Amino acid sequence: MTAIYKKEIRTYFNTLAGYIFLGFFVAITGIYFMINNMNTGDLNYASTLAGSLMLFWILIPVLTMRLFAEESRQKTDQLLFTSPVSVWGIVLGKFFAAATLFLTGVIITGIFPFILSRFGSIAAARTMNVMFGYVILGCALIAVGIFISALTDNQIVAAVATFAALFMLFMIDGFTAQMPVSAASSLVFVLILIVIGALILAGETKRIVLPGAAAIAAGAAAVVVYKLNPSAYDGLISRFFGWFSMISRFENFYAGVFSLADTVYYISFAFVFVYLTVNVIEKRRWS
Amino acid sequence: MIEIKNLTKKFGRITAVDNLSFSVNDGEIVGFLGPNGAGKSTTMNMMTGFISSTEGTVIIDGYDILEEPEKAKRRIGYLPETPPVYGDMTVTEYLEFVCDLKKVKKSERGTMIGDILDSVRLSDVKNRIIKNLSKGYRQRVGLAQALIGYPGTLILDEPTVGLDPGQVLEMREVIRELGKKHTVILSSHILQEVSAVCDRIIIINNGRIVTSGSTEGLSDKIVGNRVMLQLKASASEAQKAFGGLECIRSLTVTKKSDCLELVAEGREGEDIRESLSRLCMEKGFVILLMKPVDMSLEDIFISVINGSVDEALINESEETAETAESETTESETAEEVSEDGADTEEAYEDDGNI
Repeated sequence: MTAIYKKEIRTYFNTLAGYIFLGFFVAITGIYFMINNMNTGDLNYASTLAGSLMLFWILIPVLTMRLFAEESRQKTDQLLFTSPVSVWGIVLGKFFAAATLFLTGVIITGIFPFILSRFGSIAAARTMNVMFGYVILGCALIAVGIFISALTDNQIVAAVATFAALFMLFMIDGFTAQMPVSAASSLVFVLILIVIGALILAGETKRIVLPGAAAIAAGAAAVVVYKLNPSAYDGLISRFFGWFSMISRFENFYAGVFSLADTVYYISFAFVFVYLTVNVIEKRRWS
Repeated sequence: MIEIKNLTKKFGRITAVDNLSFSVNDGEIVGFLGPNGAGKSTTMNMMTGFISSTEGTVIIDGYDILEEPEKAKRRIGYLPETPPVYGDMTVTEYLEFVCDLKKVKKSERGTMIGDILDSVRLSDVKNRIIKNLSKGYRQRVGLAQALIGYPGTLILDEPTVGLDPGQVLEMREVIRELGKKHTVILSSHILQEVSAVCDRIIIINNGRIVTSGSTEGLSDKIVGNRVMLQLKASASEAQKAFGGLECIRSLTVTKKSDCLELVAEGREGEDIRESLSRLCMEKGFVILLMKPVDMSLEDIFISVINGSVDEALINESEETAETAESETTESETAEEVSEDGADTEEAYEDDGNI
């Protein structure tokens, strides 16, 4: 893992990607800082960080697009996967390298709250808290980017797809507000999910009977629950999509609350995508 | 010691490697010979654990590549078809990274990298950035990478492809040198290459072993008993005269603008050059050119099928029987050879080395 980590860090600075990322990151955060804090005299640094969250759409793809796509294109993955290193080690090495670069950017911009503290007393704990939330949110999104990079051997495709995915994750709150809320539509939604799940299972196992039976059983259970207690289905669709909303989870940090639940959420989100990346790579080798 | 048992790889409906079994002893140099698309790279990718097998096992020094990958992988160095190098690193940086990857002890690194750079003749360019190096140098960087950690076994996939004739000779020299310390398995679609370097040859086609045997055994029997002659003579006369020769197994006669070209194939183990020359003198044919013709892979497949290769060398008699049904005449093969792009390349490389 350390071998991959060291190599990725070095590659960030051998190519321009690392400098572009850091330069862009510091510059844009600086502009937000000027607008939100310096020009208005507001001492709350959290508003700068919250305002600059959209920066992730552009910057996370810059960090992650190359990580696996370039290995497959240059065929250097043949070296990595025939070396005595586990796939977990490789994926984690890359993840931590990207996270380190991101953290470096955050540490550099950490100078801004210090500048603020020259003009008055800032809420140090609150600033630390929002920066912490900002870092783990960034790490969760980096894991998404790495996953997408492992799906293709084209950096540009990886960058555009990551951009689109992050855009969806950010916009999900806006969409969920438009979703139907009635119990009946929620039941239809659950049934669709069950069918999709069964199709995936059937595709993976190349069997029809077992996934089919499981889907029918699950569908029947869903209908029974609906008959007995329809209120359980109220607003289920928006609750389902709301679960993926990264931004609403950031609000607690922004408000100055240290939320253990949201911390665990971000970390498990990152873990799930690292896990999926490992699986995608293993599956490709086993197919 | 590498043992491969019933190795099979299926991509969807296509069977790339079909029930391959063989073993390689320590210290051997084994050549994997087959036309493009025969399944050589797929087999090597399975042997090194890059992809899994659909069925069958690969055991490296007693460790199964899928069961105990880290232990097995530590014992092999792999040079894939495209050298797996990072263009933006210098040669030394790259080799240091590979040392990290293969967990070479820090104290041994300096001397190991120095020795390896010397043995593959890269010391001059060790501080250059890899993307600026020529294909030949990049191939050597790939080979240096495989040597890091001094694994017992080296697996080299087409190590000389894309090199110029001088570099090909140099690469063969390096491989022969490496063969003294390592077990080497290399693949190639060029017969001359494997016979120049290897102790033993395994010929595969369509994912199956066609035949295998020691290099001497194979090459004595199948290489160099064909002779090409250019004569000044009339076609009918020549046909009649040479047709009567006992020692000739087959003969093709083609008319060229200024001469007559004959390709005569002698019977197994016979040197037909003398009798050909004598006959020409008797009949008063003027010899313009006489040279041995090396067999192409297609010729070998055909001669295996026709039974000119010793029975003992044939591993899979079933395979032979199956393919024998599709009979091909000598002249047809000659046409195929000249049309096939891969073989033109082969011919070019051979010319360069003679």
